[in-house]
Amino acid sequence: MNTVDLPRLREIVGEKNIKTDPLDLYIYGADASVYHAAPWVVVRPDNTGQVQKVMAYANEAKIPVVPRGGGSGMCGQTVSSMGGILLDMKNMNRILEINMPDVYCRVEPGVVDDDLNAALKPYGVFYPPTPASSRIATIGGEIGNNASGVRSVKYGATRDAVLGLKVVLANGDLVTLGTYTRVEASGYQLEKLIVGSEGTLGVVVEATMSFVPIPEFRCLGVANFDTLRDAGNAIADIMASGTIPSMLELVDDVAIKAVNKTMNLGLKEVAASLLFESDGKVKEAVDYEVQKMKDICAKNNGADLWYSFDAKEREQIFMGRKKLFPALSQFDTSMASTSLADDMAVPYSKMADMAAKIHEAAEKNGIIMTAYGHCGSGCMHTKIMMDTSKEKQWEGAQRAIAEIYEYVNSIHGTTSAEHGIGISKALAFKTEKRDSLKMMAAIKAALDPNNILNPGKLMQAPDNWVKATNLRYAVNS
Amino acid sequence: MQTEKIKFKNLEKWEGMLAKCIRCGYCYEHCPMFKFTRWESDAPRGKNILAHGLLTGEVELTTEIAEKSFSCFFCKRCEAACSSGVQITDIMLDLRRDLVELGYKGPGTTSITARSCARCLQCVRACPHDARDFVDGEGIVVDPVKCKSCGICVEICPIEAITIPLSFGTDTAEMDRRATEFLQSHTSAKAIVFACNWSYHSDIQNSKLPESETHDKEYEILVNLCGGRLDKNLLLTPFLNQAWGVLVGVCPDGECTHDGNVAAQKRVTKMKQTLESLDINPERIHLVQIPRGDKQLFQAEIDTFMEKLNQMGPIR
Repeated sequence: MNTVDLPRLREIVGEKNIKTDPLDLYIYGADASVYHAAPWVVVRPDNTGQVQKVMAYANEAKIPVVPRGGGSGMCGQTVSSMGGILLDMKNMNRILEINMPDVYCRVEPGVVDDDLNAALKPYGVFYPPTPASSRIATIGGEIGNNASGVRSVKYGATRDAVLGLKVVLANGDLVTLGTYTRVEASGYQLEKLIVGSEGTLGVVVEATMSFVPIPEFRCLGVANFDTLRDAGNAIADIMASGTIPSMLELVDDVAIKAVNKTMNLGLKEVAASLLFESDGKVKEAVDYEVQKMKDICAKNNGADLWYSFDAKEREQIFMGRKKLFPALSQFDTSMASTSLADDMAVPYSKMADMAAKIHEAAEKNGIIMTAYGHCGSGCMHTKIMMDTSKEKQWEGAQRAIAEIYEYVNSIHGTTSAEHGIGISKALAFKTEKRDSLKMMAAIKAALDPNNILNPGKLMQAPDNWVKATNLRYAVNS
Repeated sequence: MQTEKIKFKNLEKWEGMLAKCIRCGYCYEHCPMFKFTRWESDAPRGKNILAHGLLTGEVELTTEIAEKSFSCFFCKRCEAACSSGVQITDIMLDLRRDLVELGYKGPGTTSITARSCARCLQCVRACPHDARDFVDGEGIVVDPVKCKSCGICVEICPIEAITIPLSFGTDTAEMDRRATEFLQSHTSAKAIVFACNWSYHSDIQNSKLPESETHDKEYEILVNLCGGRLDKNLLLTPFLNQAWGVLVGVCPDGECTHDGNVAAQKRVTKMKQTLESLDINPERIHLVQIPRGDKQLFQAEIDTFMEKLNQMGPIR
């Protein structure tokens, strides 16, 4: 199994940038997903030249390489399911340039999202994709995953912010893709192909990203609903009204309870709440949009309508949303929150039905699921809460997920809107993308003929996602 | 790898809690050890994974693992920030208990006493955690479960016989090196700001700013684990390297668990006297109390101090 030429790797990146101790390998075998599979060695390159040499060696020796940023992936993207070299990119963490006149910044892949935003803030601009994990997620990982978050409804996902990339290919060659300009016309936009490829086509070593001005005014509103259907209808009406919210979030009763438990925010425990936000340079315009959304909520039986321009008040509510994912683990003492079937996107008009389907499938299969998400971009998150030590609960989860995915496909939704495919969503991905699988396999074979770059992920992952690697949980039969 | 299962009788009660850790990694930004090494195995999440591996027998207990488990500064920032409510320090303490029973004893970040120890017992009396004891025939012994790496013993030892072997960049030598490096490499450099990990941590956690942002930097913030550990030589270092001034940030009165702020105040007062005796304005060293996490206040204090320094100009 482990046939890595360690002296050669040591020569390339230096002793200080290599970990071979079983304890390090075990720890690096996990990310935020349900999986665990240890690499054979962790290598942490300092620069592009080292990445090129590592790749050239791995290609020649046909050793799998898994690039990794913060390790916050939720579908097993950065778990070394086939062993090999784990390429920890955290040392390539320099913000290289902030170019205000040309409205772009250049960064290395290990730069943390929040760090980039802290550096951009003095210039009055921000990098908008902002996944909830922005405090740990690296730009490289976000590119691999095409990450997005609460603001994607207005500002788009990572793919929209990428102007150009420098990528080390499987054979160690360095290529420059894309431009420094806002637009480029015909030809294959290969930089966009790399975005969302989950490290299967190359290793990003530099990214040129656009940014946008920080709006001078932000106003956040909240509306409570007694039924998920009313909340879902409000979402569809808001999106059809011509309003462009900077955030439109749904949280259901399970999520509200979890956030109250952890953060003591005193949120009213209703069937669903909507968080709607507008931002812009003119206060009256922001106010107009928020009023409009508030009126739409009221028309759909929304109650307790509240909104505020105050930064502190907004931040408190927003932090509740940002910490929702870990907070769900405190919902019930006997249950853990697992990242499964966690990021579907469906047409706006189907939001309410989708939420109802999630709860129905959960109840039927003896697990608890929550429905929340960036509904402004059609994204519906869930988490499965269950006793992870019981095999029966896993079986229930599998059935619930299959039912939910079948429904998502039937209404022209997608089974992964934000968190990527990795291993856990591969079966759904293969079903959904069946028409393009051949094309994707051809691209993969052309760029990575020895199949060393993050093998066993996306369309290569096994159909049985529970048995793909060891689970991170101790499961008793 | 499945190995023969060792019984971790204190750790095993945390099995459910370890499953509750959703491994989001949001603890990374809070851990001074991770921020120094950037290895995930030094982060709180890494330790949770390790504890899980030991319990399930998937990872074999080694001295390296024990060393890792004895490494933590108990600042508890990770725990305070964990929305999943994982009591990581309690878990690690129970793991330490098991490890001690299995014959491992660190040291990791727990303190060790050199043979040169004069046995004055000052450290035994000063330890706020009751972790140090004098044992006939052995000298000073440290309880690796009780020791919270606060560094009081290091600070109090009159002959510098006590050290914390794994300091993760928070020891005096490293602070000294970084202060000197900044002051010598930046012509714009004017001040060193010593900030306490308990009351402050920086916005930029793991990334390096572009040269255009840093070439005209006037001050460098060096985060230590307690203002009480800043010794007089370290406070003097910036002045010996042409700094215009030194700002020391500590916790407010009553908030420091081991009166480190009081010790820091005493040293800063002494340094003021030293500066005065050298005909240097004593205001060039200043101490401020910063409530936990109040970044805005800290920045305002830095700005005020820099304004003062700019009025004073360089030391002639």
